[in-house]
Amino acid sequence: MSDPYTFLLVLRVALVALLYLIVLQVVFVSRRDMRRAATMGTGVVTRAKPAIGYLIVVDSGATTLVPGSRIPIEPVTTIGRSPTSTIVLETNFISTEHARILYKGNTLWVEDMNSRNGTLVDQVKITQPVAVKPGSTLQVGDVRFKFAAP
Amino acid sequence: MPGHRSYRWTELWLLLFPSLFLIVGLWTLLSVPLILSGSQDKVGTLPPLDSFTPALGLIAVLLLAHIALIIIAPDADQTILPIAGTLSSIGVLMALRLGPSLGDPSLGIRQLIWVIAGLVLCVLTVRFTRDLRWVRNYKYTWAAVGIALVAFTLVRARSFSTNAPSRDVLSIGPGGLSFQPSELLKICLVIFFAGYLSENREMLKEAHFQVWKFKLPPLKHLGPLLAMLGIALLIFVGVRELGLAILIFGLFLSMLYVASERPLYIVTSIALFVFGAFVAYHLFSYARERVGLVTNAFGQATGAGYQIVQGLVAFGTGGVLGTGFGLGHPCIVPACTTDFVASSFGEEFGFAGVLALIALFMLLVYRGMHVAVGARGSFNQLLAVGLTAVFGLQTLVILAGNLKLLPLTGVPLPFVAYGGSSVIANFIIIGLLLRLSQSTA
Repeated sequence: MSDPYTFLLVLRVALVALLYLIVLQVVFVSRRDMRRAATMGTGVVTRAKPAIGYLIVVDSGATTLVPGSRIPIEPVTTIGRSPTSTIVLETNFISTEHARILYKGNTLWVEDMNSRNGTLVDQVKITQPVAVKPGSTLQVGDVRFKFAAP
Repeated sequence: MPGHRSYRWTELWLLLFPSLFLIVGLWTLLSVPLILSGSQDKVGTLPPLDSFTPALGLIAVLLLAHIALIIIAPDADQTILPIAGTLSSIGVLMALRLGPSLGDPSLGIRQLIWVIAGLVLCVLTVRFTRDLRWVRNYKYTWAAVGIALVAFTLVRARSFSTNAPSRDVLSIGPGGLSFQPSELLKICLVIFFAGYLSENREMLKEAHFQVWKFKLPPLKHLGPLLAMLGIALLIFVGVRELGLAILIFGLFLSMLYVASERPLYIVTSIALFVFGAFVAYHLFSYARERVGLVTNAFGQATGAGYQIVQGLVAFGTGGVLGTGFGLGHPCIVPACTTDFVASSFGEEFGFAGVLALIALFMLLVYRGMHVAVGARGSFNQLLAVGLTAVFGLQTLVILAGNLKLLPLTGVPLPFVAYGGSSVIANFIIIGLLLRLSQSTA
């Protein structure tokens, strides 16, 4: 290089420009991640087989459930700490067999299984099977769900 | 996605930029003395390969960390390692450049060794926290370790002259290998807070008692709040570490807010903090001196305000594009490699460089919060929030201190400031964040 000062200026500008390139690239990657997350959300719904309905996790309490995730409801869905439950919730506030959801006569029913801390439907403690529809809330222990149509 | 192995191509692509940055930076650094010594004809030519050893060494270690992550955590966040790599590249380059000005040519190599050790520990952290439950189950042990570290620093501080700069009071160990327990204390506290808050989350959310029209947190929950404020004040009064006190209290507040989702706690705590600060201002001359340096730095520019004023002059000298890497005189400012590394960087890289640096820290915080949003369970979420807040709060406190917006405190700028324990602690945090993002994917 004939002029050392020009060369140094090029290096100086390149150094700052590289910092901005890193920033831009990370921003691009973040934007791509966001788009991918958005499309993956719809993909899950179309892939799932037709279900009776869904439970949407509103509050995961002390469990490892992800708030906002959808759990398909089966004709007989049991909730409890026992590993044989359909939905296994491992926290101290939940009994081994806590509650179950039944699909009978085109309607969903929630039944408490004599749990210690009780089952709440629309924030009311239930003592006998209660019919629920999309939009109803279900609370077992410290975990809250919302019912959603298929 | 099971059955489909990720080779982390994005991460590899992003690592290209810090690598180029290291090489261009080192080339600049090698060319500057040639011009200054008059041998200008040699400038454009490529310097001998072995003078690039520090840059190539760091690039190699970054690539090894990348390969290790492909094996042990293929689905972890791919931007966090490149961001941390870029920031620590800036740190190594700054140490390489500032060392000779301070008459300590090995400073850069020492920082490089710390970064390499940090990257190794980062990978080990990812490897050995595969089941995060053990971290969670021992939360009281972590709290005890944290309290032991505080107690140790308090005892050490007593044995020192209380006029010593805050930074030196907290270092232990033989001369060159000083270790600051406060760096590890941050990680211990975040784990403990995450464990405590995730267990008491429901109570914190619901309970309150009412005084006239105001809903206040119940008294038993004010206990931990007051205890944290007490510890922060104790650190401030006992060790005179204002930065650490602000950091711990800010950390607790951010995590409490995320856990409870209630601004009420924040308002209450800030009111308590203002009250505590007011009392401290009137009780301790040390606090008054610190505040006096912000309100009237130029009035004592040759005395106590020398450092902060020279730091501002350095930022001003840099202007928009900076004096050029290696072409400024940043070491007129005392502590130009540690507390005032931001003003050294600002002088030589200018406003443009400082903006890019701040953007990098913002992206690091953004990716950390991204990990938190995707994490499973409230413990993991709170852990990610807290670890991210450590970076955010440290950057905020030290940059505001350098720019004379807050009282100056001895908090290191993450990855950029010279210091072994800080670099190592930060890389352990990066390792935990990578692990948290792997277990969500």
